[in-house]
Amino acid sequence: MSLQIPHHDINLEPSMSKPPDFNRQSVLMHTERGFKSEVISIVPLTTQEKLFHIRICDPCERENFTFLPGQFVMLELPGCGEVPISISSSTSNKEFIALCVRKVGKVTGMLHRLKQGAIVGIRGPFGTHFPMEKMVGYNILLIAGGLGIVPLRSPIYWTKEHRSDYKDITVMYGAKEPGQILFDYQFEEWRKIYGLKMLTIVQEAGENWNGRVGLITELFKEVTIDPDNTFAIVCGPPVMFKFVCGHLSNLGLPRQRMFVSLERRMHCGMGKCCRCNVGSTFTCLDGPVFDYWTVMNLKEAI
Amino acid sequence: MKYLGITLERPKIGVFSFTGCEGCQLQIANKEETLKDLFGVVEVVNFREISSEGRDDYEIAFVEGSITTESESARVKKIRKQAGTLVAIGACACLGGVNNLKSRFSLPDVVKEVYGTHPIDTGPVRKVKDVVRVDIELPGCPISKPEFEWLVRHLILGIEPQFLQYSVCVECKQRLNSCVFDMGMMCLGPITRAGCNAVCPRNRLGCWGCRGPAEEANFESLMEILRERGFSEEHIAERMNFFNAFGGIL
Amino acid sequence: MLFRTITKENFRKMVEALMENNEVIGPKWRDRDTEGNKIYRFLKLNTFDELQMDYTRSYSSPKNYFLPFKEDLSTYRLEDKDWEQEIHYTIHPRVIIGMRACDINALLKLDQVLVKSAYPNPHYVARRRNTLIIGLDHEPLEDCFCRSMNSDTAFHGFDLFLTDIGEKYFVAINSDTGYMIVNRFDAREVAEDDQRRYKEVKGRIETKFKTQVDVTIVPELMDLEFESDVWKKWGDKCLSCGSCAMVCPTCYCYGIEEHTNLTFTKATKRRVLYSCNLLDFATVAGGHNFRPEAHIRLKYRYYHQFRGFVEAFNQSLCVGCNRCGKACLAGISPKVVIDDLIETEKR
Repeated sequence: MSLQIPHHDINLEPSMSKPPDFNRQSVLMHTERGFKSEVISIVPLTTQEKLFHIRICDPCERENFTFLPGQFVMLELPGCGEVPISISSSTSNKEFIALCVRKVGKVTGMLHRLKQGAIVGIRGPFGTHFPMEKMVGYNILLIAGGLGIVPLRSPIYWTKEHRSDYKDITVMYGAKEPGQILFDYQFEEWRKIYGLKMLTIVQEAGENWNGRVGLITELFKEVTIDPDNTFAIVCGPPVMFKFVCGHLSNLGLPRQRMFVSLERRMHCGMGKCCRCNVGSTFTCLDGPVFDYWTVMNLKEAI
Repeated sequence: MKYLGITLERPKIGVFSFTGCEGCQLQIANKEETLKDLFGVVEVVNFREISSEGRDDYEIAFVEGSITTESESARVKKIRKQAGTLVAIGACACLGGVNNLKSRFSLPDVVKEVYGTHPIDTGPVRKVKDVVRVDIELPGCPISKPEFEWLVRHLILGIEPQFLQYSVCVECKQRLNSCVFDMGMMCLGPITRAGCNAVCPRNRLGCWGCRGPAEEANFESLMEILRERGFSEEHIAERMNFFNAFGGIL
Repeated sequence: MLFRTITKENFRKMVEALMENNEVIGPKWRDRDTEGNKIYRFLKLNTFDELQMDYTRSYSSPKNYFLPFKEDLSTYRLEDKDWEQEIHYTIHPRVIIGMRACDINALLKLDQVLVKSAYPNPHYVARRRNTLIIGLDHEPLEDCFCRSMNSDTAFHGFDLFLTDIGEKYFVAINSDTGYMIVNRFDAREVAEDDQRRYKEVKGRIETKFKTQVDVTIVPELMDLEFESDVWKKWGDKCLSCGSCAMVCPTCYCYGIEEHTNLTFTKATKRRVLYSCNLLDFATVAGGHNFRPEAHIRLKYRYYHQFRGFVEAFNQSLCVGCNRCGKACLAGISPKVVIDDLIETEKR
């Protein structure tokens, strides 16, 4: 007498017959399936950073791909690896997504060597977003240090497209030196068309720099903050959070109206691998966008 | 050869042998199922083990063995001059290896014992990096062929290889081996760099540390454990010094 | 739940029948320790006699049959700038015999993360659905503290669960497949005497727990004693070797490795189980390590097991099997660490 245990082919599940929709987190799907995407243009920004415009090849997959400001994707070079990169294009741009990448490791180094037309994989979007919907009717402070401007680009596009929803919008951007300022070619547009107040500062001025010199906190002297009517988004190196968020909370801005984006080395983006786990918090699922109250209670976050 | 649209060059390589058993070279020439592919992606211009022809226009030099004579020292310096990348392969080249046993005795005594009155050019055992600058060290006694191929891929891609930082225990547990400590044996697995797939513990033999120390290995704790388990100082020292992998600890 | 009994002779026939068409995994032994005790592990069975129904504890948990130490998540065919991705799931059915209640409870915890949370993991789901589980009761060992972790009994998560009541097994049946299988081997209704003997065995098991770990206040302790010297004390001994996580039935942390073949025509994306004790676990792009010291990594391991998981799922991740304690050469176990923390708190 022999016995055959029944087979279960999970490919036969209805949800498995479609490309994954990462916005439907509870559904069983091909979570490892990346959307094949073409690098349609590469914009060199500095010696270390390039902006990649990436277009999902399949029209249906492209149409279905929707994200919110602050979310990230896992960018994959098959055979090389996968890295989390925050999306820095407009949520309404259905043609391509923009990913600004600094050359720091194996995958990003290889990415920098790619030519226009190369095919990469993306999975996502993943993670939490800046709650633009809660900020309606408020002033918004967007504060970036260094590479922190990258995740702010998406909310900046959002404010342009929903300008009347918000009151005053101020961008404060500090970089180490003028050569490291990203997206300066867009600043005029942000000022004139988006109606943003745009303040920049560098720590070390070069020869041709006529702007402000100092730490980002210097910029607070030039803005009046109404703590009862303001939201803040702060992105940059963790050390900056303490000073900037500390200053804002001294002014009376509630910590739950300050949002930061944390960086960890996720391997999955889906709350599984634990590489970005701190206790019960997963930077990939519960973050990367956190309010500052949560961050303060998150051991080792910054 | 293309990868994600990037054109990859086929590098010219040389494989050179110094004091050692030539087992690492054999590893490279081994494993027929991928040998054809290997010679497809690199151009071998100097490799005595497989070809008597030898050219000196190699870009990458793989150096096996430790440096124990003056003529070897001069030869490896010449190789260093030619090679853009010099890779030390195997325990002898990276650590001194078993050869280093010689360094524990006085040199004249060793020469007399082994060679009698026969004149011989031999000096203290040196790691390759003690003689010339080494770009990459591929550990193991012998090296593992899959790891060698992994390294070759990195060299072709121009990516810095990241060797496993953790110790042999991870791979040993992953193979569901019985811990040789439970069977009363000594093992240096907890402080030795992984990458060998725990081949010795797999065969019920404690690790001898041929791959050198794991990153930030906790020597003090393992020493305490070995002593608590009743291993003698002499036994511990013999094991630790075998490949000269943990120099300066005892 | 339904109950039946099956004679040991019929159980043997059942296992042999299962082995004919399915891969059957069970506790086997190969080595003996210095005291002469057998060292067990879950491996593929070739004959019934290899199956050790009187085994004590497997050195490593059978977790790897659901979450392999190394698993290819997808493969790629590469051609010039383009590539095609292929994903395969395991559908080949398998039977695991002899899983303890703690190991079954461990699977239920893994289910929480890998099936019931955001982004169910299809590779795990495929293996889970294609595995028939036959559990087995045992008398606790000296250091088992599964009772403290509320994992000494399995109520679900298996197909069949056996309790040895002499010349037969008392069988708890928890799936239709399980029911179909035992019934084909002359399973009998539970007689009064069977039930009496079953209760006796269960009662004996209950009285045999010797190790207790008081975890009621541990989640809070983890925060209160975050800066405690206890972490340094044990962390300094920790070899950062990852053995604890490898043998653990619930540790699921992993890393992703991608490789190409030698000729750059194929690539593989592989999941490799990792350990939060390993040096580079929390290293980020650019090289910054959030947890550079062994004691900090050890602390976060406990923090995840005994606090983080409680916050997320109202239960500890630990099931109390003490495999980590047995495997740790430095003598670090949940029992000693938590006792130490509680002791510090009292002072």
